[in-house]
Amino acid sequence: MPPTRSGLARRQYGVAALFTAPFFLLFFTFTLAPIGYGGWLSLHREQTSGLGLGGEPEQVFVGLDNFTRALTDPRFLGSFATVGLYCLVYIPIMIGIALVLALLLDSAYARAKRFFQLALYLPNIVPGLIAAMIWTYLYTPGLSPIIDALEKFGIPFNLGSDAGAIGAVANLTTWMHTGYNVIIFFAALQAVPREVIEASTVDGAGQIRIAWSVKAPMIRGAVVLAVLFTVIGAMQLFTEPFIVRDAATTIDQAWTPSLYIYQLTKAYDMGGAAAASLILTVVLAVASFLVTRFSKKGATL
Amino acid sequence: MKTRSMKAAAALAGAMVSMALVATGCSKGADTPAGKPAVTEITFWSWLRASQEVTDAFNKAHTDVQVKFEQIPGGAEGYGKLTNAVKAGNAPDVATVEYAMLPDMLAQGNLADISGDITDLVKSKYPAPIQELVTLGGKTWTVPLDAGAMVMFYRKDLFEQHKIAVPKTWDEFKAAAEAVKKADAKSRITDWNQTDSANFVSLNWQAGAKWFGIQGDSWKVTLDSPESQKVAGYWQDLITKDLVTNVPAEEVQKRKAAGQVWTQLGGAWAAGGLKAGLPDQSGKWASAALPSWDAAPASAMVGGSSFGVSKTSKNKEAALKFITWMTTTPEGIQARLSSGASSTLPAIPELADVAAKNFDTKFFGGQDIYAVAKAALPTIKTGWVWGPGMRGVFDGIGEQFKLVQTGKQQLPAVYGPVQAKTIEDLKGRGINAS
Repeated sequence: MPPTRSGLARRQYGVAALFTAPFFLLFFTFTLAPIGYGGWLSLHREQTSGLGLGGEPEQVFVGLDNFTRALTDPRFLGSFATVGLYCLVYIPIMIGIALVLALLLDSAYARAKRFFQLALYLPNIVPGLIAAMIWTYLYTPGLSPIIDALEKFGIPFNLGSDAGAIGAVANLTTWMHTGYNVIIFFAALQAVPREVIEASTVDGAGQIRIAWSVKAPMIRGAVVLAVLFTVIGAMQLFTEPFIVRDAATTIDQAWTPSLYIYQLTKAYDMGGAAAASLILTVVLAVASFLVTRFSKKGATL
Repeated sequence: MKTRSMKAAAALAGAMVSMALVATGCSKGADTPAGKPAVTEITFWSWLRASQEVTDAFNKAHTDVQVKFEQIPGGAEGYGKLTNAVKAGNAPDVATVEYAMLPDMLAQGNLADISGDITDLVKSKYPAPIQELVTLGGKTWTVPLDAGAMVMFYRKDLFEQHKIAVPKTWDEFKAAAEAVKKADAKSRITDWNQTDSANFVSLNWQAGAKWFGIQGDSWKVTLDSPESQKVAGYWQDLITKDLVTNVPAEEVQKRKAAGQVWTQLGGAWAAGGLKAGLPDQSGKWASAALPSWDAAPASAMVGGSSFGVSKTSKNKEAALKFITWMTTTPEGIQARLSSGASSTLPAIPELADVAAKNFDTKFFGGQDIYAVAKAALPTIKTGWVWGPGMRGVFDGIGEQFKLVQTGKQQLPAVYGPVQAKTIEDLKGRGINAS
């Protein structure tokens, strides 16, 4: 006789709980609890008194003061502008190159596909820190063979300008992340039904036409997803500018929101840092929502 | 043996739970059998050269206290790490604190009050100016190790070869800078460090500036002063006239290796770094007094470290034992110096002689560089006080340097913004400042 309905349900709940418990445990410990602590910190400010000698700092409740301070700090707002500008430069270039490379790899004429996939992906396995250090050397006049060569041909290379700084960081991140997105796009291209491509060929479309008018629209979902992840990653930009700062001198301590937050922690302003972090989180959430919403039409995720 | 296997077991058990537990497991004492006194294990954080050698020598000579040394980064990173560790409750027992950073570390409540244990010791052993550096708010907080008396290291061979006199004043230094550039178009007299502001801060000290002062219950922050302006104007002139190497740090090292940087200003401790960084130039360097503004010799302190006990330490006594051994005994100094990596000038005068005996001077052609450093000690300008927020000051000046490098800012203008920011930061932390 089969078990009763409620008994089955109860058993299923038990099993479900067993399987989901690890997730919720980790989710609580490493996501919700830190966010909660961050929320608490954001409402407090560390205070000492007098000359500040020997007394232990106290956490004083300051309400939303940390948030107003962050939101009225032109340097914090400026950091978002910098990242916005960076996204405008970086995302079209990086996604564009990745898409073209993926379509080339997928074309009927491509040879040694495995090799190119691997070769393109290679920069992505270099840790960001190491990559930034290598590029910093390549950006340093007198040490860099590239700059020396450019100068020999009379092409000036100046990282000491605002545009130079964004270019330097965008170049580095493009180098790092293009390969990754090529792999994503290439995988998506494998899912394009071959009949469709054959039909286009029969209809007389050339390779370029197929790539642009058939394949690319069909992997729109993957492209949107890549843009979404890239935007979120760009908003949190930290390691690359932090290291490249040595060569690109216009990158200041509040160049990106994450750098701004880091700089606050160095000034022992944990409350301000927590508030700025939460603001950044909200901005990221809104940005993610907008990107998905904006591109939902026709997207096949 | 028993201790060892217990330690291993503790470590294994700890590793299975979490890394944090390992740290606690190691800092606790382990009992030895047969009623012998327990061995107290303590941890020690530093970035100073030869710290491992010092720790090893201490462990060899002691049975009741064993020290575990952990290398941490110097500068702002290291102090941030210490502050966070104290908050998290897993700070080391013994922390390294530079004099400049002591008020900052106190404002964060990172150090235990060990006044009762060390005040007499510090008062009896150290010269008054050094005592002042570790005495704040009527309490003695740390035990000093060294005096970072600022000197000038120079390429003796090149100066002699081109018959350029070693400069004794800043005017002579400028003249020499022109002569160096003339002698070799690729060479400059010294490097203008584009990011690290420590030397520059101390050059202001040497000129008689006093960046921090205490007025009643409030800090007085005065970065911008006529003395500071004199220093900034002088160096801006050298930069504008292209008389100093003005390139990123990576490139500076390359030029030094190529023999294109003829002097280096720095604390006495910098000799060790020179030796390690430029082994090919052994025998070619020498040390001299820092050039001064008038004929009277004057110096300042750059760097210089002391050791304190962290607030969360449960082994104060053992920590103090290790600290006093490192700083006040000939054995401790000998262990630091005989490794050859450190060229620290002990703050206790008798120990400076021990250090001089143990430092291999081959790199300096046999010159007694300790005599130069010791002679610089009494010429250090008095009245300089380090204040809280120095981490921000060093950082802020470094940040301004970047603007100077790109020509967006002139050196004399760097003080204003940093002074304003420092006062704002201190007030934000509840510290009285103006």
